Amino acid sequence: MSDKRTITLTVNGTTREADVEPRRLLSDVLREDLGLTGTHVGCEHGVCGACTVLIDDKPARACLTYAVQMEGHEITTIEAVGEETLSPLQQALHEEHGLQCGFCTPGIVMTFEAFLREMPDPSEAQVRDVLSGNLCRCTGYQNIVVAVLKAAAVMREKRP
Amino acid sequence: MTARSQFNYIGKPLARKEDRRLVTGHGRYLDDIVVPGALHACFVRSPHAHAKILGISVEAAHEVPGVVGVFTGKDLAQWTNRLRQAPRIEGLQPTEIETLPTDKVRFHGDPVAVVVASDRYVAEDAAELVEVDYEMLAPVASLEAALAPGAALVDDALPSNLVSHQSFSAGNVEARRKEAHAVVEATFYQHRQTHVPMETRGCAAVWDQGREHLTFHIGNQVPHPLRSALAGRLGLSESQVTVISPDVGGGFGQKIALYREELTVAALARHLKQPLRWREDRSENLMAASHARENLCHTRTSVAADGRILGIELEIFEDFGAYCFYPANYMSRVVAMILTGPYRIADYTFEVKVALTNKCGNGPMRAPMAITSWVMDGTIDAIARQLELDPLKVRRVNMLRTADLPYRMATGETLEDITPAETLESAVASIGYDAFHERQRALREEGRYIGLGLCTVVESTTYGSAFYKTTGIAGSGHEAAWVRIEPSGVINASVGLGGSGQGYETALSQTVAEGLGVDPSMVRILTGNTDVAPYGMGSRGARGGTAGGGALYLCAQKAAEQVLRIAAHRLGLNSAQELRLLDGQVERRINNEWTGTGLFLTDIARTAYLDPTNLPEGVAPGLDFSLTYDPPPMTYSNSTHACEVEVDTRTGRLTILRYVVSEDCGTVINPIVVRGQQQGAIAMGLSGSLFEQVVYDENGQNLSATFADYLVATACELPEVEILHNHTPNKRTPAGIKGMAEGGVMGAIGAVSNAVNDALAPFGVAATHQPLSPQYLRSLLRGRADRNRQEGQD
Repeated sequence: MSDKRTITLTVNGTTREADVEPRRLLSDVLREDLGLTGTHVGCEHGVCGACTVLIDDKPARACLTYAVQMEGHEITTIEAVGEETLSPLQQALHEEHGLQCGFCTPGIVMTFEAFLREMPDPSEAQVRDVLSGNLCRCTGYQNIVVAVLKAAAVMREKRP
Repeated sequence: MTARSQFNYIGKPLARKEDRRLVTGHGRYLDDIVVPGALHACFVRSPHAHAKILGISVEAAHEVPGVVGVFTGKDLAQWTNRLRQAPRIEGLQPTEIETLPTDKVRFHGDPVAVVVASDRYVAEDAAELVEVDYEMLAPVASLEAALAPGAALVDDALPSNLVSHQSFSAGNVEARRKEAHAVVEATFYQHRQTHVPMETRGCAAVWDQGREHLTFHIGNQVPHPLRSALAGRLGLSESQVTVISPDVGGGFGQKIALYREELTVAALARHLKQPLRWREDRSENLMAASHARENLCHTRTSVAADGRILGIELEIFEDFGAYCFYPANYMSRVVAMILTGPYRIADYTFEVKVALTNKCGNGPMRAPMAITSWVMDGTIDAIARQLELDPLKVRRVNMLRTADLPYRMATGETLEDITPAETLESAVASIGYDAFHERQRALREEGRYIGLGLCTVVESTTYGSAFYKTTGIAGSGHEAAWVRIEPSGVINASVGLGGSGQGYETALSQTVAEGLGVDPSMVRILTGNTDVAPYGMGSRGARGGTAGGGALYLCAQKAAEQVLRIAAHRLGLNSAQELRLLDGQVERRINNEWTGTGLFLTDIARTAYLDPTNLPEGVAPGLDFSLTYDPPPMTYSNSTHACEVEVDTRTGRLTILRYVVSEDCGTVINPIVVRGQQQGAIAMGLSGSLFEQVVYDENGQNLSATFADYLVATACELPEVEILHNHTPNKRTPAGIKGMAEGGVMGAIGAVSNAVNDALAPFGVAATHQPLSPQYLRSLLRGRADRNRQEGQD
């Protein structure tokens, strides 16, 4: 299983190369080959959502995606969010205590960065529905829901 | 909150210091640590519950390019010592565990061999090629099977599978039974669950051949005891091992013991003289990390006509799994010791039986005594049902009042500074107990079934050394801290805890700030490195706040004393008595008014380090302080949970409509952090009660190896928790801190079960098992019509 090939990925707007086996997961390539360890691996079977990244601006599971499939696509990871200042969502998660151990947090941030662009004024039920794709063992979700709704309100206000 | 006026920094709702790195993906968890040149380990696990190992062939695996070696239990036995578990406790059998089994496997998932390779993918490929020749043995797949006469032995060194058996008696329950108006029997079965930290286990071991030193990276709750265990099992001294615990993605009790995989990785790194790492995948975590709970309780209660409890008899059976990573009496014994909780009960007996089975070994999981409050308050509800009394009235007639405190429980435990009657009354007032019953009656007419469940918790937290001593368990309940004011006046502080998301960097900095008199932003908390942190007992048993925060608070007070002594000298005063430090400035009391002196901590620090000839006589240079603190034998918090549910009787679907908790956990260090712990604990209790279950079939095959089988509650199933505050400081702990974060699990389990039984009352059924799955509730209801409605229609 050592038939490696060189692939070219666009990650966070930068073109990167990696020498990988075709079976290598995107999550492993991001974390180990490219050193972007913010994408977390919690279950490797697509249920927990900790590895969520954006592929062409849509949330996807990096643990269910082969890196070789990603040539020609744009990948965005948590490292691209809040580099200089925290995004409204990250800020709201901080203010509302929407995280404890923080392991699931990058996946949740990526899920809702995309969601709030498409759905700027969601209901609590809609937020809970989307959040059900991410498991959190610490918080009971309550503060995460509050934070997402708060971020939505902040983002709506900022919009011209 | 009286506590707030008393403190300057404790009690402030400061947002967490640790968040920034975590929300931006710059947290540093175990698997994010790059160890150059590290090899990867993958374990070969038993597909059988119980089988003899006849032979292991490793040749095919060896041939895979990239494989460095394949090792078995026989190899590891040369390089490591066994785990012996033998505290002197009556009725407890001593046990021994090999690093990897050499003779037989004892559960589905037992590690039998390990492959070391250049890459995790290669290690996994090669592990598939390791062939183990097994001879199947009869599986012991349940408590009943374990305790049946002639049962196969899980541990061949023991006389039977009954690994622990204790009993206790106070008062005279037989006499109480004879004089009772009624005797009420109730059963409670809590199913097998597991911790599910979002970050699975893992470790990275680096052996330095030159220094003969092991650096062991591992997300762990108790870094120092882990280091002692690791050194002991490897035949090294504690000076030869450094344990470094980075950000930890949840522990919940799973990341305490030194597990066999971790020991194996450490031993192999030393043997191979190469760094080695391992990360468990989710299926390994669900199957083989550590399980919890699975106990069956029976109560027999003698009661008066008004529901007053005259005497109670408890019987507990626990399915402990195949291996004892902990003394087997430990968890169920605590349940038995604190069962009677908030109620006035003098006549009490218990019998605790713990059995080994061919399942993954048990360990403590957030609230190891979780079932306690369900059993006690479920018994109260059973009394109310049998005697046709209002369950709230039965609680009131039995409950301890402030005038009863301190109260010596039948087991000898002393309750003080608790407020169960107050939390009960505030919870029932908030949820609208009386109005609820009107709604319930009206909805029943429409064929809708809602129920209200109450559960009052007395939560044991922060076990002190005296508790360990009286229960015969080796170890200590003390905690250690140091506080160092650096020459610039910033403060570094450390404690032996190992955080896993509790917000220690923020809350503990508030305890240091309070003891010293500086803003918490000036304090940095350093934990999780055994070369840096003092030897403390770590995070477990809800001891972080009381033992850890308490030790830091006292240590910071010690530092403040010295700082003020130096300040007095600089100000030309004879005594520091009328001085204090606030926000880093020395203040002096003149005519009962505190006034700034213009002297700051930075000035004192500069003198202490750089100008020691200006120190008062007898004061040594520098500002470096340490101490250890041993909490009271046990500290108790209390709470009442009130939960409203609706059961769809056609489908068995359970919906939580409202959830109120009134909690007294003493002085709150940081209300934001405490609220998060309350919400999280309740969520874990509800998720466990409603969904989570490790399922073994009759052959001992684990059927729950993915998140598609082992269901954890999502945002759609968990309610918004309404929290009422009712905080009474503990008079015997530093700053009145009590400890919390396990009681939420205890209360949730009881409240939701009691609510379901209230909803199902018209059908004459009561749930005695968890999880309260739709299938289970439907099975209870099948063929049972609502007696009241039927009578109405007839």
